[in-house]
Amino acid sequence: MFGQHVTKNLSAYAHGETPVAETERVAEHLRACAPCRKEFEEIKFGIRLAESLAPATAPASLWEGVEAALIKHDVRTKQHAAVSLERRPFFASGSGWRRAAYACGVLCLCVLAGAAWFFLRPSRSTWEVARLEGAPRIDADRIGDRGRLAVGEWLETDANSRAQIEVSNIGQVEVEPNTRLRLVETKLTEHRLELARGTMHAKIWAPPRLFFVNTPSAVAADLGCAYTLEVDDRGRSLLHVTSGWVALETPGRESMVPAGAACVTQPGAGPGTPFFEDAPDALVEALKSFDFQNGGGMALDAVLSNARTRDTLTLWHLLSRAEGDERSRVYERLSALAPTPEGVTKEGVMRLDAGMLAAWKDRLEDTWADESMHGTRKAWRKLWK
Amino acid sequence: MEETGKSMEHYATLDERKSADAIIAACRRGDRDAFRLLFERHRDRVYSVALYFFGGDEATACDVTQQVFLKLFTKIEQFQGESEFTTWLYRMATNACLDEQRKRRRFLPFGDVERVRETGGRRAQEDNFAKAEVADCVKVAIAALRPKLRVAILLKYFEELSYEEIAQALGCSKGTVASRLNRGHKALARQLGHLRETLVRGE
Repeated sequence: MFGQHVTKNLSAYAHGETPVAETERVAEHLRACAPCRKEFEEIKFGIRLAESLAPATAPASLWEGVEAALIKHDVRTKQHAAVSLERRPFFASGSGWRRAAYACGVLCLCVLAGAAWFFLRPSRSTWEVARLEGAPRIDADRIGDRGRLAVGEWLETDANSRAQIEVSNIGQVEVEPNTRLRLVETKLTEHRLELARGTMHAKIWAPPRLFFVNTPSAVAADLGCAYTLEVDDRGRSLLHVTSGWVALETPGRESMVPAGAACVTQPGAGPGTPFFEDAPDALVEALKSFDFQNGGGMALDAVLSNARTRDTLTLWHLLSRAEGDERSRVYERLSALAPTPEGVTKEGVMRLDAGMLAAWKDRLEDTWADESMHGTRKAWRKLWK
Repeated sequence: MEETGKSMEHYATLDERKSADAIIAACRRGDRDAFRLLFERHRDRVYSVALYFFGGDEATACDVTQQVFLKLFTKIEQFQGESEFTTWLYRMATNACLDEQRKRRRFLPFGDVERVRETGGRRAQEDNFAKAEVADCVKVAIAALRPKLRVAILLKYFEELSYEEIAQALGCSKGTVASRLNRGHKALARQLGHLRETLVRGE
């Protein structure tokens, strides 16, 4: 997989110009390859810059030069000279009706073109909001059954209100009661919400990394998925992924969360370590202590001793969060649960070799596939609350 | 010649596609009024491509636009309709830009890009200037791109052509278009990395 980086295809991918199979391959690769993801961010930035170009209006006098050149050309060419004898230059015509007709024609065309542009232009700056219950508000104004959320505007629901947002043409967001969120931007290459507090459910069917949600403690980047994101009054957030993948990001720290898994973030600490919802309570409790309460080696050992094969998701992330001897202990437990693939060595993992970590994750993903979640315990929720 | 000299109102009453076909047919018969209408329809697009290709040099953009339309009107009999007319026109426009550049050897001095970068930092303090600043810097950065990358970017973002249409206009493969756009985007991002925050703030 890592022998086939996708950096050359990223612009075509962003413009929707890649064939379906290639789109899937690029999306899959981006999910797994941090260097290509970084490159994709650069490409998207380049696209945004290019999109800022505005068409210019040609000077009105331009036609005079063209017409003069045409007349000159007519005179020089016998064939056209014959034509020019029959016709006078347009503006030399003394016929008022012709000029009036011309002006009307151009005017009609301009009106038609303007109308076509107005009605057919892509609706980029607002998203449609539908009221599901109660009285949702956009920038303090109640909406009826439907409203439009513009860039910069806040959508708020009270204890009795719910709403649904159409995310451009790439997905939907359902907004639960007591939620406050803002549309930060919506462009071809990026759609972004800010969730200040409350709960939202997102279903996104666009290629990965086009939809983002800012929270007070991390950014949730969609990788083609459905998920629920909650933010409490202290700015902490809880992500629960129901299909696909979501990346939680802060500068220098990233958690990749697959379907069936959850992840907690806290202001100042960023994203914690992801864990499966059906993980043992003892593991989740110890993980919380390790991530946010300076639990140190004791908390780490409790995580390791309670980890099952599927919890290699958690252990793989811990490789880059533990240091020195603690990282060595994580490696030993992880390799006992899931042998290292060919080419991955302890020395390489200990120095956090990106290629080796990615190769190991690639192998582990088979064990992270969303198993039947019947009877999934929600007990871990109380650990967040 | 019986259909030459049809009124502009006649074309305005047709739907856009029929109207375009009728205007082109009239141009091929030498109808000067139809030439004028064709010019009015496409002049801003051709001028925009030329203007940005030559880094905002209006005089050169005017010259090139006039050359394009003169050539268009004298060669329109050769347009057989195998491709979209606009694709044919943009091929002519980009060739004219490339020819003109070869003639004039007008490369933007690198120092100009640096100058815009420096002034950009100051102007970014004023949010009202953010968009204009970004547009100015992008204009300069695009002028500094290699001509083939520049043309691909201009056709993509002014004309909103698909990769297939750009490939037809440039006479190359879709893969080449994808590669040129990719390199163009990366070059813009690299040159204008200092505008990242400005761009976010200005939107």
